[in-house]
Amino acid sequence: MPETLELRRARPLLGTLVEIAARGSEREHLARAIDAAFAAVSQVHRLMSFHARGSDVSRLNRHAWRTALRVHPWTYAVLEEAQRVARASDGLFDVSVARILVARRLLPAPRGVRVPDRRACYRDIRLLPGFRVRFHRPLWLDLGGIAKGFAVDRAVQRLRSVGIDSALVNAGGDLRCFGPMTQRVHVRDPQAPSRLLPLADLASGAIATSAAYFTRERRAGRDVCAQVDPRGGGGVPAGSVSVAARRCITADAWTKVLLLGGARFLGRARRAGAVARLIG
Amino acid sequence: MSDFIHWLAPAAIAPAAIAAVQHCYAAQYLTLEQAQATIFPEARRFAAAPVRFSPDQARQIEKLAGAPVRVPEQQVWEARSDSRLLGWFIVDEVYGKHEFITYAVGLNADGSVRQIEVMDYRETYGYEIRNAAWRRQFVGKRHGDSLKLDQDIRNISGATLSCRHIAEGVRRLLALHEVALR
Repeated sequence: MPETLELRRARPLLGTLVEIAARGSEREHLARAIDAAFAAVSQVHRLMSFHARGSDVSRLNRHAWRTALRVHPWTYAVLEEAQRVARASDGLFDVSVARILVARRLLPAPRGVRVPDRRACYRDIRLLPGFRVRFHRPLWLDLGGIAKGFAVDRAVQRLRSVGIDSALVNAGGDLRCFGPMTQRVHVRDPQAPSRLLPLADLASGAIATSAAYFTRERRAGRDVCAQVDPRGGGGVPAGSVSVAARRCITADAWTKVLLLGGARFLGRARRAGAVARLIG
Repeated sequence: MSDFIHWLAPAAIAPAAIAAVQHCYAAQYLTLEQAQATIFPEARRFAAAPVRFSPDQARQIEKLAGAPVRVPEQQVWEARSDSRLLGWFIVDEVYGKHEFITYAVGLNADGSVRQIEVMDYRETYGYEIRNAAWRRQFVGKRHGDSLKLDQDIRNISGATLSCRHIAEGVRRLLALHEVALR
């Protein structure tokens, strides 16, 4: 039986550190597979960046309120999932939230883009046949709450497609693994992020965690935070939420719902295939 | 439905009820040689060409990059095939409030970014990160060196530390190329 190697790499992508670890018997094969997986993450980054002018998100924000635009099938897939979660959470998850993030200076305002309609919400995003997208009102789309999970799924798919059978992909804490090895996952104590709590042993599946501890900043004497309630734009609880699901996109999106909506959304999360732990 | 996960914690968790560890997460990804081979697999040799810049050049770099220059020198290697310059391999360090990152950047011969690879990443919540002597102990470290890492803690969910400092560092290295390598 050949010796099992593990290769572990990290690159800055999607505004965070993306780590990929793969196991196998041949170093060259592992290195090529990890490169291919990073290429998938880079592609998600290019398509879904709020800032990059050429991204699908940026093009939609500039033009989709006037005319339907064709987007990459990956962008379309993320929007479909985002809309599913938005409907299932009564709009608690809403990818049109960028207006509020910009207003709180958590995102820079896109240049040369029409100011969004204050009434705009996810219901104004229409997904048309042929991967076309149209907005009913000017709005600013931001996929920051879901694209990381999707990128992890694409990286996992890429690793599998080149014959890797044990790996873990972690994009800034949204992670997914597959293979015979169980992975122990820790989570930060929301009251003291340097303390780590053992959370779960994960076989083949994903875990994502949302908390305010690194995104909370004080501006003008007020706490602001990247997790905002799109309906009221109100405050955020102090704890953290960890969600496990088969796919990382599901885990990623539902952490936002549960962080804002709390335990009363656990049943809906479960129906969407997501199980959760609320911490703190 | 939850056959893929075994929770180690109850449904609603009060952190005080769990045995937590005070821990500094750390990961070593690539040695110097591995990082060179990863970014320039076709290179035949790497010629050390460290750059020491004058105060004037440092000011130019700061102005171009909009980022502070903390040390007046940079570890740079020329990546060469048999006959020509493929580009530059640069090792840099950045630190934020809680993280200290050593990373490598490959620049193509035209000055564009070829690839960025994190070599070493560690978190800290102490004062050490501002302490130059503490930071120096990681420079040029190899796998298996005396730094001991806790192998049990490898996967942290919700570990989103900012990579803003790497982005800033890369801007500084591109400015360095403009001022001192071109």
